[in-house]
Order: sequence, then C-alpha cells, then structure tokens
Amino acid sequence: MTENNNDVREIVVPGEILTEDKNFVPGRGAIRQGNKIISIYIGLKNISGKFINVVPLRGKYRPEIGDSVIGKITDVSSVKWRVDINARDTAVLKPRDAMDVYDKRSQRGRGGGKSSREEEAETMKKFGLGDMLIAKIVAVDRVSDPTLTTVGESLGKINEGVVINVDVPKIPRIIGKKGSMIKLLKDFTTCRLFIAKNGLVWINGSSPELERLCIDAIRKIEREAHTTGLTDRIQYYIQEKKKERGLK
Amino acid sequence: MDAPMVVSTIQRKYVIDLLKKGKRADGRGFLDYREVKIQTNFIPKAEGSAEVYLGESFVITGIKYDIGTPFPDSPDEGVATCMTEFIPFASPMYESGPPDIDAIEVTRVIDRGIRHGDCIQYKKLCIKAGELVYILFIDMYVMNYSGNLIDAGAISAMAALLSAKLPTAKIVDGNAVWDGGYMTIPINQIPLSVTFGRIEDYIFVDPNMDEELVLDGKISFAINETGQITSMQKSGEASWTEEELIKYSKLAVQKVNDLRATLNLRQYIPKI
Amino acid sequence: MTILIPEDYPKTLINKDGKRIDGRALDELRPFKCKIGVLANAHGSAYVEHGKNKIYAGVYGPREVHPRHLARPDKGILRVHYRMSTYSVHERKSPAPNRREREISKIIEDALAPTLFLELYPNSAIEVFIQIVSADGGTRCASTTAASLALADAGLPMKSLVAGVAAGKADGKIILDCGDLEDKAGSADVPAAVRMIDEEFTLLQFDGEMNPEELEISMKYIKKGAREIYAAQTAAIKEKFDRIRQETEAENKIIEKETKKAEPKPVAKVEEKKEDPIEPVKETPAEPKPEPEEPTEKSEDNKEETK
Repeated sequence: MTENNNDVREIVVPGEILTEDKNFVPGRGAIRQGNKIISIYIGLKNISGKFINVVPLRGKYRPEIGDSVIGKITDVSSVKWRVDINARDTAVLKPRDAMDVYDKRSQRGRGGGKSSREEEAETMKKFGLGDMLIAKIVAVDRVSDPTLTTVGESLGKINEGVVINVDVPKIPRIIGKKGSMIKLLKDFTTCRLFIAKNGLVWINGSSPELERLCIDAIRKIEREAHTTGLTDRIQYYIQEKKKERGLK
Repeated sequence: MDAPMVVSTIQRKYVIDLLKKGKRADGRGFLDYREVKIQTNFIPKAEGSAEVYLGESFVITGIKYDIGTPFPDSPDEGVATCMTEFIPFASPMYESGPPDIDAIEVTRVIDRGIRHGDCIQYKKLCIKAGELVYILFIDMYVMNYSGNLIDAGAISAMAALLSAKLPTAKIVDGNAVWDGGYMTIPINQIPLSVTFGRIEDYIFVDPNMDEELVLDGKISFAINETGQITSMQKSGEASWTEEELIKYSKLAVQKVNDLRATLNLRQYIPKI
Repeated sequence: MTILIPEDYPKTLINKDGKRIDGRALDELRPFKCKIGVLANAHGSAYVEHGKNKIYAGVYGPREVHPRHLARPDKGILRVHYRMSTYSVHERKSPAPNRREREISKIIEDALAPTLFLELYPNSAIEVFIQIVSADGGTRCASTTAASLALADAGLPMKSLVAGVAAGKADGKIILDCGDLEDKAGSADVPAAVRMIDEEFTLLQFDGEMNPEELEISMKYIKKGAREIYAAQTAAIKEKFDRIRQETEAENKIIEKETKKAEPKPVAKVEEKKEDPIEPVKETPAEPKPEPEEPTEKSEDNKEETK
C-alpha cells in the first residue's frame, strides 16, 4: 500500500485492541475493556475526533423508523399481512397502512359508505402471498414486530424486475456519496434501481443482459466496499464488460 | 431472503419472462450446464472422497466400507448403499433432524442410477459367498444448496467411488483378514444423471436455485456409458407428454455424454 | 461392524530425540489454516484445517426460535449443532446424532456465548452448525475456533474471538495439540478454548491423569497454542480483505493510465475525488454502549419511482 494513501483504513477483528490511549472514547462498533478500547466486529477502524468507531463489513438489518425497505409477503390473514424484511423479526402491514390516500378520501366522503371494516377487507385484496413490496417502516420497538406502510411516494407493490440480496453494511457504498454510485449504475446500465436499507436491491432493465451487468457491478461494489477509487473502477468495469459482452 | 419457502411472485414472473425470450437469469442457454469443480481424496479416514461444486451447489461425499453378510438372494455379491444429509447450514430452509423427503428422494434416485447401471461389479466385492462381502456406504452431505442436487450428488458419488481404495481380504479360520493389499472399487460403467426443469412449456437443463424454487416440475435421467437409461424420476406436479419424454431422454443421453467427457472421472482412480 | 484394518496405536509417542511421532516439538502446533465466507447461503461461515481436521461452520440468525418454547424473553439463545460426517472417522460413524455430539455441542455453546451480546436478541436464536468432514483429534477445539470465526463473519457483535486447542500427556511428557493417535494412546487430554481478549478459558475438559504441576504446564501450552491460532485467525481475516485491496489498487493504476491516455477528453468523471470506504459514522453515541448498530449512514435517499 502506498504512503500517501492514509485514508486506507485498517481491517480489525472482534476483540482487537483499537487503542490504549485514554483520550479516546469508544464509538460505534467499539467498547471499553479495562483501559483499552476494542472492536466488536470484523470491520474498518475509523477515528473521528475523540471517537473510535468500527464500521462492520457484514451484519443483519436492524429496522429503524423511516427506512425504506423491500419486503416479501409471507403470510396473509383477514386483518394483516406479515412481511419478511430481511430482519430478525417479520414486519406487519395492516390494511389501513396500505390504503391509497385517494381511497380513504373518497370512501369517507360518501354518506352511508362502507364501514371501516369493509374498507379494510377490501384493501386486504390488494396484496397476496409472495408479493414484493417497497414499504416504509413506521414503528419499531423492542417488544413488538416492526410496522410498515405502503402509503407514500414510490411505495407499493413491485410488479416486475428482479430483487437481489446484498450485505446490509455495504448499502451506503452502493448508493455512494450523494447518490453518486446509484447515478452511475443507472446511467451506464440504463437499469432502474431501488436500493433499500434492508439489503435488498430492485433492478429492472430493458434487457436481461443489462440487468445482469448491473447485478455484476453491484456484486463488485459489495466485494470491494472497503477499498478506495471504487466509483472510477465501477465505471471502467461496466464500460469494459459492455464491450466484452457486446452490449450497447 | 430468509424464508424462501414463500417464493416471491416477481421471481417466478422474472424467470418465466426470460424463458419466453429464450433466456435464463444467469445467462445460460436452455441446454447449458453449470461449471463443475471436483476435488478427490482429501479425507484421510474415508476410503474415497469427493468434493463437488455444481455452480454454487456443493456436496461432499465419502466412501466407507464394512464387512458383512450378503443378501440371501444374491449371496455372492457385495452391497452398496447411499445416504444423503442436507446440513442445515446449506440453506435457511433446512432444519436439523432426520433426512426430509427431498433428501430421501435425492438418495433414492442416485442409488437406483448406480444399482442398475452395470456400475459397481458387485461380484468382485464378495469375499466368501453367502458369508462375507463388502458393504459400501456412499454418504453424501449437502454443504450448500443452489439447485439440482441430484446431478451434483451423482457426480460426487461417482467421483468418490472411483477415488476409493479398499483394503483386500483373505480368509483365515473363516474370518476376513487384511492381506496387506488394496484394490480400487471395481467399476464397469459410470452412470451420471442429468436433470431438466420445467416451467409451463419451457424445459431447460440443470436448474439453479432461483429456477428450482419456481419450477412446475423436474425430470432426472441417469444414463450409463452405453447410453442405457438406468433410472428416471419425475418430480413436481407438472406432467410430460410422450413426445417430450422421448425428446428429452435423447437429449439427456447427449448431455450425459458431454458431461462425462468433460469431467473425465476416471482420472480420479488411484494407482495401486 | 467389522473392518479389515483396526486402528493401531504406537507404543511410544515421544521419540528418543524428544520429538513426537509426527516430528513436532512438545509445544508445537499442527499445521493450521482457516478461511471465512466459505458457504454461499449461510449468514456467516468458516473453514478450519487443523492438522487433518477439516471442519466447516455455518451461522444463521438471529432468527426466530424453533421450537418456540425454547425462546427466552430476556435474551437470545445460542444453539450449536456439532455433527460428524460418517466418513470423518476410522470406523464409519452412524449417521444418527449421538450423545457425544450433543455434549460437545453444549460445551461449545458455553464456550462461545460469553463472547456474544445475547441480551440484544430476546426471543431469538443464533444457530451455529458445525460439520466435521475429517477428524484427527481435537475436533471440539478446532470446531470452537471455526464457530467463532463464522460468528464474526456473520457480522454479529462479539467481544472476542475464541481459539481452541488441547494439551495432553504422552509418555510422561506434557504436549500441546494432541494429534489423533496422541489423543487416543496418550495418558491425558485437556481440550480447551481461550477467549483471546482476556485469555480466560471458556471451554475446558479433562480426561486422564495429571498432577497439578503438569496441569500448569498444560495451561501454559494451551495459551501459547491459542495465541498462535488467534494470530492465524486474525491474519486470515485481514488477508482476505487486503488481497481485494491490492487487486483494486492494481486496477486503479490501469484506469489512471488509460484515463491519461484518453486525454484531452477524459472519461466523464462522476464527481468525487477521494471517497471513503463505506460511509464513516458521523455522529457517535454520547454514551458508548456495546450497541451493535449498523452504521447509520446519512446517505442521500435514493429516490426512484417503481412500477
């Protein structure tokens, strides 16, 4: 590794001593153990101010309010859907969180219209077992399962394309700074993309070859997430593969 | 996702839409097999062993033996039995416990392919007719599931059998005793299997995991070196026409011949 | 069960030159090798070769507990399933799970649970599956080493890696890391595993005869062996990522050259100069807890319409 590459961060392992300097404070991914600060992950060591952090390289998704996620309906009852969101617990989607705003307004406006129970029963027909959704997390706590909504811009059922699974901590890299990597992937593969916080990526392109190219590029980002110069490399990679595979 | 038991509706649609265009998600043609990687004899205490990757499907098979009594209806023949275990780390769908019905099906299909394929020369595994014969155990462990375990298992079973060395026996006071030598397992023909997946009217070889999860059905053919079909298994609810069965049995013979030539499994026979 | 070649144990385990039957010094480990991320589907996985032991470990979880009644409302449970392949040993092992496997699974659970933050996963289970492909003495120790690596590979927060190794006694001498024959023909076996952060013993069994002085030597040997294994565990993890880094640096140079060649019309640069490998965490928690949170990166929302 070259001298001037001082932003190349060290890979550390669980239990590894990050510092014994008392002026530092353990941040994320680090804990104090006696007079030392140690890592609790396989990850990248990073110092910001007096905090020492370790950014993990793999790990399971932990839902947070406001996250956009991609989920799969794994169970349907008469009053709710259960949605696998790639987290420890399956999430819950209730019909009132799946009604279109338009539906709500028009139904309510009608005198003697349907009861809310009827409305909900009607809404339950919207999604079926195995359907993939883009949803937002509206509630999470330690005791109950995460709750979702599909009401909102760009939320709802996915009707086409392909969804792949990537390492959750690498999602920020696939997005890139200010969305630079997404933009690059979209511009150079012409695929449409949705990158969800829970480690799932939706891809939809005009041909399976372009979709495959996009997936290959995402796999490369995933594998090389801990390195520098990634954006340039991905651009180069896509251009080279296009030539190699005879894609426009 | 963690619960692939419920297959997503777009996954099925995605696979079918591609098939309609004559394409597959991983870029293969309908009759392209995934890459096979083989390593043999890496388990010191097994008589034979093979590690086989078919794409990302990964199977480790070992051969052990025992000296036992033959079946009464074939007193001068040795015995070979197969077993398959799906290790729970191979897929989030697997659980620990006794082999489930899929593991049993994989085992039975491979077992029949070997049993009826003029493969093992059972008579040469007889030490003393009616009393002492070799009993071979072909134990297959699925380490990673990524579709088409029957073919992957069959390749690993044959590679492990071919790589094996058995101690040879003499009879002393009516007991089998090691005479200090070794032999390879006498194998005449190498049966291999080829599996076709089916979705609607689209039929393609060597389904991978994404395809297998959305299939309507599969059909496996085990075929020996003289082009004889030695085992067949239709699974899944899809039904097949007579014309299709004839067409794909012929294609299967071709595919198995190609596979056999590529793999050249006899290279794994040890020198003794 | 009859087999033609019964296992044969040597009469002496230490040669006249003081070396052991495989040529090792008394306190020398067998060759050790390990790798993480070896199984495609598992959340975390590792492969360990320790002597002729060949062991795979795979991790799933935290996930829902089956059967449900095993779940605990206050913390997660760690479940280890240690299994031997039928062909891993001299005489074929019956494929059915046995009591030895159950016991070893339990002691490995006890060895690893204190390195995890199980209180973070109420009602859930972390499951570790260990498969012995080839056995060569000391499988429980090597399995602990492998399982610890697989847990780390899964990205689960951990206080420490654990390294397993046994000591033993052969021909009156204490030896480190018994091989299969030393294990079976020796007069004592002390399988152990050490939590490397504080070098405490988290797995310990004993079988045979030793006086306390000999036990003391055994402990010293075990710690020495564990340090060497830990060094190899650490090196294997770092090497994996460093190798990718080196590859990418070579690629970066090629791109740099080609970009220069393409002057005066450089490839349309997509902004950014020096990017950070994975977004660094900007805000750090005021109260640093062992909160194993994913980095809450504040990347721009990726807005995209869907169909």
